[in-house]
Amino acid sequence: MATVRAASRLLSKRVLSRAKAVPAAAVQGSRNFHFSIYGKKKSAKVSDDISTQYPVVDHEFDAVVVGAGGAGLRAAFGLSEAGFNTACVTKLFPTRSHTVAAQGGINAALGNMEEDDWRWHFYDTVKGSDWLGDQDAIHYMTEQAPAAVVELENFGMPFSRTEDGKIYQRAFGGQSLKYGKGGQAHRCCCVADRTGHSLLHTLYGRSLRYDTSYFVEYFALDLLMDDGVCKGVIALCMEDGSIHRIRAQNTIIATGGYGRTYFSCTSAHTSTGDGTAMVTRAGLPCQDLEFVQFHPTGIYGAGCLITEGCRGEGGILINSEGERFMERYAPNAKDLASRDVVSRSMTIEIREGRGVGPEKDHVHLQLHHLPPQQLASRLPGISETAMIFAGVDVTKEPIPVLPTVHYNMGGIPTNYKGQVIDHTNGKDKVVPGLYACGEAASASVHGANRLGANSLLDLVVFGRACALTITDLHKPGEKLTPLKPSAGEESVANLDKLRFANGSLRTSEIRLNMQKTMQNHAAVFRTGSVLKEGCDKMDDVYQSMENIKTFDRGIVWNTDLVESLELQNLLLNAVQTINAAEQRKESRGAHAREDFKDRVDEYDYSKPLEGQQKKTFDQHWRKHTLSYVDPKTGKVALKYRPVIDSSLNEQDCAHVPPAIRSY
Amino acid sequence: MSFLRLCASASRHVVSSPAAVDSLFIGCFRTTSGAVKDREPLRKAKTPQGRFDVPEETSKDVLQKFPDDVNPATKEKGGPRGPEPTRYGDWERKGRCVDF
Repeated sequence: MATVRAASRLLSKRVLSRAKAVPAAAVQGSRNFHFSIYGKKKSAKVSDDISTQYPVVDHEFDAVVVGAGGAGLRAAFGLSEAGFNTACVTKLFPTRSHTVAAQGGINAALGNMEEDDWRWHFYDTVKGSDWLGDQDAIHYMTEQAPAAVVELENFGMPFSRTEDGKIYQRAFGGQSLKYGKGGQAHRCCCVADRTGHSLLHTLYGRSLRYDTSYFVEYFALDLLMDDGVCKGVIALCMEDGSIHRIRAQNTIIATGGYGRTYFSCTSAHTSTGDGTAMVTRAGLPCQDLEFVQFHPTGIYGAGCLITEGCRGEGGILINSEGERFMERYAPNAKDLASRDVVSRSMTIEIREGRGVGPEKDHVHLQLHHLPPQQLASRLPGISETAMIFAGVDVTKEPIPVLPTVHYNMGGIPTNYKGQVIDHTNGKDKVVPGLYACGEAASASVHGANRLGANSLLDLVVFGRACALTITDLHKPGEKLTPLKPSAGEESVANLDKLRFANGSLRTSEIRLNMQKTMQNHAAVFRTGSVLKEGCDKMDDVYQSMENIKTFDRGIVWNTDLVESLELQNLLLNAVQTINAAEQRKESRGAHAREDFKDRVDEYDYSKPLEGQQKKTFDQHWRKHTLSYVDPKTGKVALKYRPVIDSSLNEQDCAHVPPAIRSY
Repeated sequence: MSFLRLCASASRHVVSSPAAVDSLFIGCFRTTSGAVKDREPLRKAKTPQGRFDVPEETSKDVLQKFPDDVNPATKEKGGPRGPEPTRYGDWERKGRCVDF
């Protein structure tokens, strides 16, 4: 009897323990694993509609996101959360996207350090963009900023805290209080030294809760357009060489910038402007590509930026003659002049033949005249940085530096909701089925110049905006409109042509030519003659693509092929950048020209407005550039689109009328 | 108790013998090659047992973590290590500028 009771007790214990061992997730119902080893969805069908040589698999989803950086992941799981069957196509594993390198902070008017208002953040951003930013999009972003940061914090992002436990904010990125009159504002929230890394990992971790289908290491080739409506993307699976046509009602492009068009840039090798090129090949415009943000002292070859603090602590810039050349360009400020003055001076020295190195294409930043202890105490870690990235001992040799590309303000034009727009007959027209967010898009919050710590905010706010817009306009499970069976044929033909290319120039040679041309002609120093020469040279480089030679004829993990496809994308971005820069005859924000040093607005805002004649749209330059390219010839056509000057709600937040930008 | 003492004494013997074996090996090397080798001792000369006997000088990271991860000047918890990154107007870390 006792043994029976003991046995039953034991049994009940075991049953209970097994019951406890059942995970909570299983109670919801059985769910397949997020990933599957052989192929993605069971609805994928193999077809030979467009090619008999390449296996083509057709997929159907409600939405597809191209790119899995900060913006792409936010959009993807925003849609999955709303119940849409979402695919995320990315050529890199999500946590390897370039967002991970963004170590600065994220701006939001939370008001934790002092009294703050998002309208003051709005004013700072509009002023920073040099009045080229669309004020409705900036209103949207700055109003949503506190909610976005709190949402990220709720997802688990470990922001640094004050003693009270609120998010710690520091002063950064040209932020002010009371519309510029109240002193420095503290708005930048960060996570130790690695905000972007933490953001990306938080978003990736959060996205795994939902049912997004990830197509990792799939290179998106082109958009599937049908009569001006976007119906999906066609992508190459790098792992096995199969082509996948992913049909979806909604496509979101979040592929990042195109820093790799320049010889010296801080971006990863994968920042090749794939999304902007896909949109260009679809016949749609790209906006404001001439606005590229430079930093004067980037390490030659490596692309890492050396802080301005080096010059602040006494470091000097030296040319090949050992001369401290900044004394000639800025007699008072010398090396402490503003960034654009320093960048332009360095470029002029290099152009005039006083650069250093075997190709005389950079200058030196000298720090070895400073006492080593002072250097180590004021700038800890710099000797390590210089040794790792430049291979120099900072106490003995100078660091090779040159102006380096950091961010692309331009991209795919969208409205504040994230929908891609085209400008026809003087009106903005939405392209159905296509959305864009992140650095690839230009909802134009950054305008002509991006403020620090605003780009991470841009990612999350507009990623979420795209997801919300799609949720408003569509329902999950909507029937897809029919697509021509031959959609995507040209992309596969192009792929095939590149795979078997047998010209005389290697991909790396053409790419280096493009990068050198852009660095010499479309960098910081821009004048009419230099830009014109650059446009002609870029045209030659573009034509030289006909002569490309690839070596790998295989189809499995053919990096030669993928690099050549990326080069095609880079070239499309590069020709648009340099042609748009050549046409814009003014200096605004990051686009500074020697021959047109002033901003040309509809009124001259440095004088009182009464009595001034308003210039017509053709005569002034406070407008967005829209560039189209004919992919076969490489010819660029430019159109212009007015800046949106009204905010979303004039009562709530009045728009900021243009003024002279001075800090 | 006595068993433990025996074990301890045995292990001491075990510890001392590798050193003797070591010198024996080195001696062998010198004689077989013919030339006097002035090299530093073999990388694996310290057996795993011996490696932790001498605590290695752990390389100090240039940017020290704050005590309790709280910055004493600004009272920020969980913030960036080292001096204030925005002190020069851009976001600086280890001499590199990451945002401006």
